[in-house]
Amino acid sequence: MTDYIIETQNITKKFNGFTAVDGLSLQINRGEVFGFLGPNGAGKTTSIKMMVGLLKPTSGQVKIDGQDMRKLDKGIIGVCPQELVLWDNLTCAESLKLMGDMYQVPKAITEERVKKLLDDLFLTDKADTLVKNLSGGMKRRLNLALGLVHHPQIVVLDEPSEGLDPQSRRVLWEYIRSLRDDEGKTVILTTHLMDEADRLSDRVAIIDHGKLLRLDTPDNLKKEIGEGDIVEITLSDSEKISEVTEALKEIEDVLSVFEADGKVNLRGLNVISKLPQILENLEKNSINVADISMRHNTLEDVFIYLTGTSLRE
Amino acid sequence: MKFLSIALKDLKELIRDKRGLIFILFFPLLLIVVFGFAFGGMGQSNQQYNLAIVNYDEPATLPTSNETTNYGDNLTQLLKDVTYQGNSSAHMFNVTTMSESEADSLLKNRKIDAVLIIPANYSRSVVALINNTIQTTSNPLSSVNTSPVTSTLIIRGDTGYINFGTSQGILVGVLSEYQDKIETSTQNMVKGTPGASSIQYISYDVQPMAGTKNFTNFDFLAPGIMVFAILMLATTVAANLTREVEQGTLARLKLSKMTGFDLLFGGMLPWSLIVVAQVLILFIVAVAVGFNWQGGLNSIVLAIFAGIIGGIASIALGMIIAAFAKNDRQASNLGILVTVPISFLVGAFFQLPNLVVWGFQFNDFLPWTHTLNALRATLIYGGGWDAISSQIAASALLTVILFIIGLILFSKSRLSVDN
Repeated sequence: MTDYIIETQNITKKFNGFTAVDGLSLQINRGEVFGFLGPNGAGKTTSIKMMVGLLKPTSGQVKIDGQDMRKLDKGIIGVCPQELVLWDNLTCAESLKLMGDMYQVPKAITEERVKKLLDDLFLTDKADTLVKNLSGGMKRRLNLALGLVHHPQIVVLDEPSEGLDPQSRRVLWEYIRSLRDDEGKTVILTTHLMDEADRLSDRVAIIDHGKLLRLDTPDNLKKEIGEGDIVEITLSDSEKISEVTEALKEIEDVLSVFEADGKVNLRGLNVISKLPQILENLEKNSINVADISMRHNTLEDVFIYLTGTSLRE
Repeated sequence: MKFLSIALKDLKELIRDKRGLIFILFFPLLLIVVFGFAFGGMGQSNQQYNLAIVNYDEPATLPTSNETTNYGDNLTQLLKDVTYQGNSSAHMFNVTTMSESEADSLLKNRKIDAVLIIPANYSRSVVALINNTIQTTSNPLSSVNTSPVTSTLIIRGDTGYINFGTSQGILVGVLSEYQDKIETSTQNMVKGTPGASSIQYISYDVQPMAGTKNFTNFDFLAPGIMVFAILMLATTVAANLTREVEQGTLARLKLSKMTGFDLLFGGMLPWSLIVVAQVLILFIVAVAVGFNWQGGLNSIVLAIFAGIIGGIASIALGMIIAAFAKNDRQASNLGILVTVPISFLVGAFFQLPNLVVWGFQFNDFLPWTHTLNALRATLIYGGGWDAISSQIAASALLTVILFIIGLILFSKSRLSVDN
């Protein structure tokens, strides 16, 4: 048994000359929650598809549990896709039983698992309800359950919280933790929610333009771009953001200053002691401040620092 | 048995999507109703068909009267005089007697609609029939004829020609009525029923034939329309399969241990039930709008069987179409693009000139050609199992081949790892 349950060796995927994934090499440990972050179009879903065997890499190799992907027992991976992939005219229980049959799980075991999954994901009351009559949150939870009914060792969750309300999201997070802690599963999680990745992931990979930018624990990543705090300043005159950004870079111990979401984002150590200096600098340049706030460095700051602020579509 | 789970899943989905199901089952009805009204003879004048008679008959002598009669001439005269029910001036046939080679030549050029060949022993068989009827009527216990003489009248024509279909349908009715009349009149004569005479009943006491009033072009067209409706099913199957691709549910199944056979064979089972329902509904509606068929209930049962095999071929065709379509709209368009030309190739509406491939006619490679031949053989010509078994076998074999092609193409394009 290898330490890594998934290993990608320099995998590349090209579509008509466009390189979606560019020499991605990473190892995912057995029994960890592995966060996979990147802006839209960064190559996350393409990478995931290659890891689960839905897409053939142009070059490179994917190994699951030390074995070549092509020789893999299909029951080892369970996938919860980004989109809702459900049969509208089947009930929740029928859908789960169908997937159990498709993975050749014995009937009695399927029955047991269906009952438990419905219970764990708060769908027991809806067992005999047609999927088309479920709420969005229920559909999301069923979408997840369908990838788990065959008891896979690896669970791939592609943006599982998309469109969920905060209550449903918390139910999901608890469940993801239990998959790792109680059942020892390896979870690969792609998400746009930095908070989600920060709270759930043991390690996080950040990719952009198909390349791996960083791979580490959330804490180490935050440390890497500087421990400390973030000051966000909203100006009355937003046209002066560039001018202010340049001016604030001169202050001692300020690690970075850039524009993010129409605000000036300043990161530095012990920023609270620098606040008078910052305000003085702004006053000297006749800049009016509409709002100012301070918070701890987050994974989102790391993400923006590494991938920039420009839109990706 | 993963295919059974797929079959059950597809069946539930089909039944629960009520709107879709109604459309699938009732769309072909529209075709039947429209064609039924268009070609069902509503307000249409009774058409006269060109019939050539080749008479090889030799006269025979009636033992009761010692009179020698050529019953072939007798029958020829009857066919000249027979008129449509309700219109005594509208003759059914324009009859010309000629040689067999002359008739065949005219038949090829469609100058005539059908040829009736009366064999040399026809009069002898009529005499034998009369003798037998006299014997069984006067002494019911002696029902066995010691010297039976049978003759076979041949109705020859181009089975792909609508006028042959209609005229032979009328001919079969007239000939069967003629024989019935001989028997009834002989029985009446033996029992001394007033008004019966030994000679006149055999000649041509022409009465309008019951049922012929409604025998129309629609009766010949109906099997073709049924085949067209069955073919259209390919479009629906293709759209449904493509929807599974589009919705991503196929990718979910693809990740599992399901095989292409499980998906497609499992999917074929509930669709086959749809085919059965569709074929039944087609028949009921066809009959309701005035479809007259030959052969009674037996023909209907055989026709349903042939229709089901044709329907399964359409399901296989749907799989092939789904292997190439990217979404359900594309599947529907591509489906129409494929099924409509096929319907013409198999001659559902009219016969196109046949392409010859490796010495075979191209349309012989299409299972629906054989479905149509079987439907026509049994519904129009009243043929039984013997008449259609070879067509059914050909249709079934080609359906299996089509299913294997569909399985390979669909598995390759939809179930293998994407490049």
